[in-house]
This record gives sequence, C-alpha cells and structure tokens, in this order.
Amino acid sequence: MAITYKKTVAMFADVVSIEEAEGLLQWALKHPQGKVNLAACTHLHAADLQVLLASRLPVSAWPRDAQLKAWLTSALQDSKETTHG
Amino acid sequence: MTPILQQFIAESRDFLQNISRKLLNLENAPDDVELMSDLFRSVHTLKGNSGLFEFPEMSRVLHAAEDLMSVVRDDRLAYSQDLADRLFDAMDFVSLLLDEIEATGQSAATHAPASVQIADTLRRLIPVAATEEASAPSPAGDHTAATEGSIAAAVTALLESIPAAQIAAWREESQSGATFFAILYAPEPDCFFKGEDPFFQARQTPDLVWQAVASTAAADALAALDPYRCTLRFSLVSRAPRAALDAHFRYVPEQILITPLATAEWSPPPAPSQSTAPRAVTSGVAEEILRTQLAILALPNEVDWLKGRLLGVARTIAAALTSMGRSALIADLGAARDAAVAQGAAAPLHSWLAGKLEPASAPPVAQSKAAADSEAKAVRRAEEGNSPKTLKVDQDKIDRLMNLIGEMVVAKNSLPFLAGRAETVFGARELSREIKSQYAVISRIAMEMQDTIMQVRMLPVSFVFQRFPRLVRDISRKLGKEVNLVLEGENTEADKNIIESLADPLIHIVRNSLDHGIESPEVRRAAGKPAEGRLVIRAIQEADRVLIDISDDGKGIDPAVIKRKAYENGVIDEAALDRITDQEAVNLIFAAGLSTAEVVSDLSGRGVGMDVVRAAVNQVNGTVTVESTPGAGTRIRLSLPLSMAVTNVMVIESDKQIYGVPMDAVLETVRVPRANIRSIKNRQTTVLRNRLMPLRSLNELLANSAPQAANEDDELAMLVMQIHGEQIGIMVDDFREVIDIILKPMSGILASLSTYAGSALLGDGSVLMVLNPKELVTWQ
Repeated sequence: MAITYKKTVAMFADVVSIEEAEGLLQWALKHPQGKVNLAACTHLHAADLQVLLASRLPVSAWPRDAQLKAWLTSALQDSKETTHG
Repeated sequence: MTPILQQFIAESRDFLQNISRKLLNLENAPDDVELMSDLFRSVHTLKGNSGLFEFPEMSRVLHAAEDLMSVVRDDRLAYSQDLADRLFDAMDFVSLLLDEIEATGQSAATHAPASVQIADTLRRLIPVAATEEASAPSPAGDHTAATEGSIAAAVTALLESIPAAQIAAWREESQSGATFFAILYAPEPDCFFKGEDPFFQARQTPDLVWQAVASTAAADALAALDPYRCTLRFSLVSRAPRAALDAHFRYVPEQILITPLATAEWSPPPAPSQSTAPRAVTSGVAEEILRTQLAILALPNEVDWLKGRLLGVARTIAAALTSMGRSALIADLGAARDAAVAQGAAAPLHSWLAGKLEPASAPPVAQSKAAADSEAKAVRRAEEGNSPKTLKVDQDKIDRLMNLIGEMVVAKNSLPFLAGRAETVFGARELSREIKSQYAVISRIAMEMQDTIMQVRMLPVSFVFQRFPRLVRDISRKLGKEVNLVLEGENTEADKNIIESLADPLIHIVRNSLDHGIESPEVRRAAGKPAEGRLVIRAIQEADRVLIDISDDGKGIDPAVIKRKAYENGVIDEAALDRITDQEAVNLIFAAGLSTAEVVSDLSGRGVGMDVVRAAVNQVNGTVTVESTPGAGTRIRLSLPLSMAVTNVMVIESDKQIYGVPMDAVLETVRVPRANIRSIKNRQTTVLRNRLMPLRSLNELLANSAPQAANEDDELAMLVMQIHGEQIGIMVDDFREVIDIILKPMSGILASLSTYAGSALLGDGSVLMVLNPKELVTWQ
C-alpha cells in the first residue's frame, strides 16, 4: 500500500499509483483537517497530484526526493496561499 | 533493417502510388463512390501498417487522413480540389518519412510538429457536425487552437510566476548562447485511460530548469472532482535543444506547445539601432530588418567606412536574430563578420545572411524552419517522382524470359550440328572450327543469362518458413504439447516454383511431427527427455539442390507398428510383412492409405499426408527420405532441385530410337559383357564391383519386344541408376552425349503417360522423349 492512512495523516511512500486517487479523494472528503506526509514518496501519479491540488490538504512533510519536492512545493504551496488569502 | 521493415517500406510506396493515382482519378470523377472507398481502404491499410512500427508521426498524419476520408466517403463532405491538395501534401509527408526510414531505419522525432500541423489541416476540413459523429474526434488540445496572442499571454504569465533572480540568471546564460524553451503541456482529459502519467512525463522533461503545475478544475468542488479526468496544466522551462523536447513529447505533440523564450522578453535589445523599437519585436519586423541589412551588404565595397558599416550591420543582425529567438546563430554570425572585416569585403557576411534568410522566408513562426524544409522537400518529390530500387515484374514476363532463354539454349545446341555438317558435307574444316569457337562464346553468354534469370526467380525459403512459428504454436496448443521450433538456413534460395511447391508438403510433415512424433510433456518426462519437444526445420544448399530437413526429437517411427498397420490396411501382403527390413517399413509411411495414429484427428491421421508429400515432391523432381530411431526422433529430408528450368539429360539409344534420361538419376554408365549377365529366377542380374545388380532392359520396360543390341565386343550398355534409394541397371543399346534441354511436360492425352517426364526439342529439330525412371521401374 503506497498510502497509509493514519488518524489525521496520509503517509505517502515510494511510487503512488493511479489506483490510490479514488481512495485519497474519499479520505480528503472525510478528513478536511487531515494532513499529508510525503517524506518517503518518490513519485505520485498525475491523478493523485490533482486530488492533492484540489483538496488543498496541508503538507506536514515534504518529499526527500529533491526534484519531486521542487515540483510539489511550487504547486501545493501556491494553492495553500490562495486558501489563506 | 529487419525484413518486415523493408517489406513495409516497399508496400507503403505502392500504397502511396496507388493513393496518388486514385486521388488524380477522383479529380475527374469526384462522385465515384467505388473509387472513394478504394482510396479509403488504401489509406486505412497504410495507417494500420504504420502502427506496427514506432512511427507516431506517420500514423498521426495517416489517421487524420483516414478520418477525413471516412467523412467524405459517408457523403458528409464533398470532394474538393482543396481536399485533394491537402491529402497530396499529407502523402508527400508520409513519403518523406519513408525516405528517412529507408535511409536511417527510423523516423526522427523532429517531424512531430510538422505532423501535427498536417494532421490539423486535414482535420480542419472535417465539418464540425461530422467531427462529433466521427469515431475519432479531433484531439487537438486547447493550445493548438490558441492564437498567438494567448500563447504570448501564457508565456508572460509563466514568466511572472518565476522569481526575478531566476530570470536574471537565465538572462546571463542566454547571452552566452543558451536557448530556453517555455513548454505548455495540457494533457487531454481522458489521458489516464490511455495509461499515461502526464506528471511523470513532465518530470522527465530533459534539462528542466523551471516547473509549475496547476489544475483547471473548479476550486471549491472537491466532492464533484473526478480524479480520473485530467485537469492538470503544466508549465515548464527547459534549456534542452528543441529536437530533444520534440522527441520527449513525440507521442503527445498536439497537447504541448513549445515556444522559445526570447531574451527580448526580459532584457532590452542590446543593439543601439534597436533601442527605439518596441520590446517584443515580431518576427515579421525582424525579418524586414534582416532583408534591409542584406540590401546594405549588397552595396559597393569601395568606401572608406566599409569596416564600420560591416560591424554596424552585424550588430543589427545580431539584435534582430535575438528578438526572433534564434540567438543560437549569433556565434556563427560573428565568424562571418570577422571574415568580412578581414577581407575588406561584404561578401562573406552577405552570403551568410542570404543563406539564413532563405528558409526563414516561409511562415514566421519559430517552428516554420522544419516545416519549410519538409515543404521544400515535398515540392521536390513531386518533380522527381519516386525511384524505387526494386521493380515489381509480372511473373508471366519472367516466365516468358525464361522460356526464351530456354529456346536459346536449345538453338545454340544446333551449332555443333552445323559445324559437323560444314566439315563432313562441305569439307570446310576451317569454317567448322570457327563455328565451334563462336559456339563457345554464345554458350558462355547464354549460360550467364540463364543464371541471371534464375536469380530473378529465386526466393528465400523463409517465404515458406515464416508461417511455421504460428502454425506450430497453434497446433501444439491444440494438442497440449510443448514444442520449441527452430528454423535454420532461412536465407537459402531456390526457384519460386520449387519454393511454392514446398509449402504443402512441409505443412503435412510438420503436422505429422507434432501429432505423431513429439509426445506430450508427461510422456516425455517419463522417458527422461525435456518436457519441451524440439522441432528443427533446416534448409541447406548442396551443389544444385536444396535440402530441407525436418527433424524432431519425438518418439520416432516404430517399424513394427508400421508393418502391422500396412498389413491391416492392405498396403503390403503377408509375405512382404516378414520380408521387409525396418528401413523399408519406415519408408512405408509414404505409401497411400496408411495412418499410424490411433485416432483420426482434424490434424492428421486420415491416411493421406505422407503420400501427398511424396507426390508433391516428385512433381518438382525432388526426393523425400525418412530416417527414424525409435524413441529418439525422426528426420525427414526433402531434396529439391534449385531450379527446374533447364534439365540436364543423357541421350541414350534403344531400338534405333533416342531417349533422354535425367542426369540426376544416372549414377554411372558401364558396358557389361553379355557373358556376365546371369538370370536368376527369370530376372537378369549382373555383378558390378562385387555387388549384385538387378537388370532391366529398356525395350522390355517400354513393352518393345526387340532385344537390346550389343556393340562389336558383345558388350551391353548399362545405365546404373538410383531409383527410390535402390540401384538398378537399365540396359540400353548405346550412350550418346549429355545435353541441356528445356523439358516440356506432356500435355493433353499424352499427359497420362507417366513413363515419360516430358519432351524436348533438339538442336537438329527432332523431338527427344525424356523418360521418367521412377515411374518406368515401378510401373513393372
């Protein structure tokens, strides 16, 4: 399982496939206060990415993979700013 | 290059030619439904074929052409001149790709933008109403339809989101010749269902220096979000060369947009002459400037301020190029400028600029260079036409050529007769010698011609072999056996007729091997063999024959079983049952009406098969032999002539008649003293080199009561022949020369005379009957 759902945190690990998108969306709907931990994630499918973009769940830990981190910080931080602003 | 690719190229050229011809015909008869359907089919097939290979550009254009054609075929769009022009363009493009594939074995990704453009032009012809109904609606993404203005806006928006420090760094770098490309990537909504991961694709973009991703989905509608409809939009900046980016996105070119980031957009133009110009100079204006510079360079050199003028022009050109996003050319320009200054003449700079301006005079979009190149090539193609390296010739023509060379071989055979007559009848010995020397020359040329024509008719055995992998796979699946098929010597060549005649016998043999030979995996394992059976089909050339071995490592043929079956089926009688050797028993599989399979299956076992094999092989003058070791496997060997055009026969005489005997059946010729011929049980025999040799008299075989004539020393002429693997002596009256003849099979009523293989015309005009030794002896 590439995403482990804890009480308030969704832990991403390794490569998160397209199969996770639906589950992630459901979890995001049920846990509006949830957070995502991307530390161990190396890649996530575009479908998962757009769920993250749409849900605007705060990121508790950024990926250790530098390239992925660069991608996600630009995309997810921006959307977070729009939430607050 | 693989044979299948070569075949694809040859076939595609045919299709293209066909399509062109039909398009031209359609111009005269635009309402011809039949013609239109034909055209559609050709394009459809061509598209399908291209899909077998990795040529996305070709498939894309053909796919668009097919869509367009299907709309026309369904009467939803009328045929028009414009439509024909577009289709011609598309086909020229495909032809261009084919040239490249033929030259390099692959199609370069640089054609992707051009292919999108062509596919787009084709699709634009499809009426909107039709597009909705068409099976494949136009996949053109939002960006393709975007106007240049919105592209500029998107690029500006992208630039605004990038920190100023980052842009400053790029600016510095671009001054030293680097070019940055902005890439807008809008994956199509249902791309996930095609197995694509746009995010991965974007991450893998070569030399990525900046990235951003956004979603076009409504911001507050998380519950309504369909996670499987892609709404992502990627904005990327890369410093990779254009070609690399095209290659990276070659499967989705209609979803991306690549624009060079002109340095003008973040820095004032460096040249003073440009300082008053607006910041973003359109390519059109820049080109105008370049043309003016060209005119200045064409002015006379004889002025004092030439050097200053050259430097000024060079600086202006550099500025114009930069604003056109082609700053990569600046280093080149510097070299041309230095050369011009050194020579004190404008010529180097002038020719450099003229060379650069020409291709750029087409549409001023940055992509235009590649498109213009291919356009120029396309125009040239229409002029020069295709010049394929292979010719397709009707087989009848080749056959006629072969008959003619055959006649020629026969005609040249009359020259020795003529020489003989010149000497004996007219006493002109000198003339006779000259005729003979001329004969040698003609003979040599005729031989070479004959060889060449044979070569034309040669086909590799792979022509027949290629169907076996599939056949073996299907049959072994059906039988629940595991078989490893090994094909060897596929490049061995033989005459087309021979190769074609091989197909059926080979299929029979292979089926038999699979059905009767190779055992099921359990039986094999129990016998200590690997579960997977091995079937080898090997072709080798040996002198003037092709040998085809089909060997398996199955259970082999049990002579005892064959004997019993043969007896049960009435193939042999009781006496023969005890008498025949194991090898003879194995050979009985070729007898008609024998099947060893306990159950008649739809594969084999109906008692036809091996006798059909032998008949088919005999037909082309071949032989078939079988060797088998019970428990270890069977090997069936077909031996076929390389060519059946010219037959080498020995002329013999019997009862004042001459006959021909095929040389490949003759082992040797001996003269046997009449005293050495003994009768055993009413059969004549002799002893040749300590071996008992059965004898037959040719007259007797032909139902002629005349006795064989002996020579002055009372010796009888004996042909030792190999018939069905046995040696037999045929007594004749005399031997004559060995000649090459064109064997014409017996036709009409005479065709039933199986004792004759055919007839041939001799050099002196007489007819030679050629015997068929196999039939002659078994007929007894």
